[in-house]
Amino acid sequence: MTAETQIVIPARNRSARMENWGRAYYRFRQSWLSVIGLTIVVALVVIAILAPYIVPHPEHVAGGTNTAARFLPPSADAWFGTNELGQDIFSLVVVGSQVSLFSGLAVVFIAIVVGTAVGAVAGYFGGWTDEILMRITDLLLTIPSLILAMAVAAALGSGVFNMIVAISITWWPAYARLVRGEVIGKKEEQFVVAAHALGAGWARILGRHILPNIVSPIVVKASLDMGFAILTVASLGFVGIGVKPPTPEWGTLLSGARSYMPDYWWTAVAPGMAIFLAVLAFNLLGDGLRDVLDPKARR
Amino acid sequence: MVLFILRRLLLLIPILIGLTLLLFVVARLLPGDPVGLAAGPNASAETIAQLRQQFGFDQPLPIQYWTYLTGLLEGDWGTSVFTRRPVFQDILEYLPATLELVFAALLIAVVLGIPLGLLTAVYRNGPLDYVTRTLALGGIAMPRFFLGLMLQLAFAAWLGWLPLAGRYPFIESPPDTVTGLYTIDALIAGDLYAFQIAAAHLALPAIAMALSPLATIMRMMRASTIEVLQQDYVMTERALGLSSRLILFKYVLKNAMTSTLTVIGLYVSWLLGGTVLVETVFDWPGLGLYATQAILTQDFMPVIGVTLVIAIIYLLTMLVVDVLYGVFNPKVRYA
Repeated sequence: MTAETQIVIPARNRSARMENWGRAYYRFRQSWLSVIGLTIVVALVVIAILAPYIVPHPEHVAGGTNTAARFLPPSADAWFGTNELGQDIFSLVVVGSQVSLFSGLAVVFIAIVVGTAVGAVAGYFGGWTDEILMRITDLLLTIPSLILAMAVAAALGSGVFNMIVAISITWWPAYARLVRGEVIGKKEEQFVVAAHALGAGWARILGRHILPNIVSPIVVKASLDMGFAILTVASLGFVGIGVKPPTPEWGTLLSGARSYMPDYWWTAVAPGMAIFLAVLAFNLLGDGLRDVLDPKARR
Repeated sequence: MVLFILRRLLLLIPILIGLTLLLFVVARLLPGDPVGLAAGPNASAETIAQLRQQFGFDQPLPIQYWTYLTGLLEGDWGTSVFTRRPVFQDILEYLPATLELVFAALLIAVVLGIPLGLLTAVYRNGPLDYVTRTLALGGIAMPRFFLGLMLQLAFAAWLGWLPLAGRYPFIESPPDTVTGLYTIDALIAGDLYAFQIAAAHLALPAIAMALSPLATIMRMMRASTIEVLQQDYVMTERALGLSSRLILFKYVLKNAMTSTLTVIGLYVSWLLGGTVLVETVFDWPGLGLYATQAILTQDFMPVIGVTLVIAIIYLLTMLVVDVLYGVFNPKVRYA
């Protein structure tokens, strides 16, 4: 006796796209390290945006000093202590997150735009264009990037904008290499051939058909690069090139603290830990995104 | 293989010519007035013009480049406007200190990183694995210069075990120069006292530089070992009853090494460029400090010289890495 059992197909209450997002979110959540990374990154961004309004001593950030309170160790009043000018280090470090995060983001953004343009053109057209563009890229990759960035930044003069330009010059070749490889891989696929047969021009094929298909590796690389971009910005500040005081920046704060090191160690610990935390958070987030967008690379 | 190496060495020539051209053009295109900086704010227009002529800045760019390129081959790498000494001589003086630092850091990173990577892959998800992986995540994110400062604070200022900075005390005379690397020179001379001093000064900066490559090499080694361990041939060897030690060291290690080798090669360039930061922290008299000083005074020739030296060392390292691929994996053909 077989009773008729009705097969119930669960109704799809979400669109396929939403399901993809749900799956991605599930995969991301699987690793608690990437969730921690995302949490810290979000917190850092919120703090950076609100920084001028939440710090206890905004006047110190603007360059105000309080020499009566020099070199106070960390306490309930000044959480991270005070520096040689009596400024509250907590306020400086919190506002310093603005320059560091913004510069890091700007460097990676410029590198993506320039690198993608160069890599896409080289990969799509091939031949001599490819040869010339890639040889220049290769040459730039052999130069130690930190020294090149330092030299360019020093020649352009101090300032956040000049520093961003200098670091970006050393940063785009890696993206050009990545995008070129991906474009060459996609160029021969059926949908590109079809677009070509329909009479699409090279700009349309690259922009509408190829580039949207290679966004994942670029995003993965960009998120892993954010931490290193922040680190490079701080490195330039530390050797005394780039952002100049009174603009608070983590590397510059650390470099200033070096002269007072063994005795007034807290002047160095706070900015150093801030750099460490930001780089760590972006690295964790990048690892998580790689697991979501590029499951093959998962270990 | 000899042919392969020769061909690769020949290929270096156009790369180096391109590199000098690129560096030269970039250096000249940038704004900045090294002569004005070197002459000082009170120099007369006449003095500046004279200095310009002396350093050849009054010639057209292509002629300046040609003079520079032909000079390079004769060992004349230009003159530093700041130290007023030939760049080549300066580099020869500072290079050994930097090489000593980079070798020491690389040695620490490789000697600790590869076994740790193997161990954590074999005892995957064990306590050692979790501890080292967490430390590795931190190690990659740790800025070298901050780590250097903290090491100084802990081991020099508080514990007093190791010297704070510098390469060798002024009052002592360093061992006779053979290689220029004080630790090795001391060993050659058989002078254990000098070796102790040199090694003590070397320890902190080398550790500060080694942490990030150590963490990366360990992670890379762990990942590739896990991948190799899952291969069919490893299972076959297990089924044949080979001991796990034999499998690990004879078959797995070699195959896992290839991708780690690339990372080690890339780190040579990263370490050489990064000495700028660590040498600043530890007042280590190497290329990094020299380059920083040249950059701050916008002195082109030393910057080009240092960059060129680092690029040459990097290119030679990559050649060595490519040759080593074949040693670890006979399937690789030298083409």
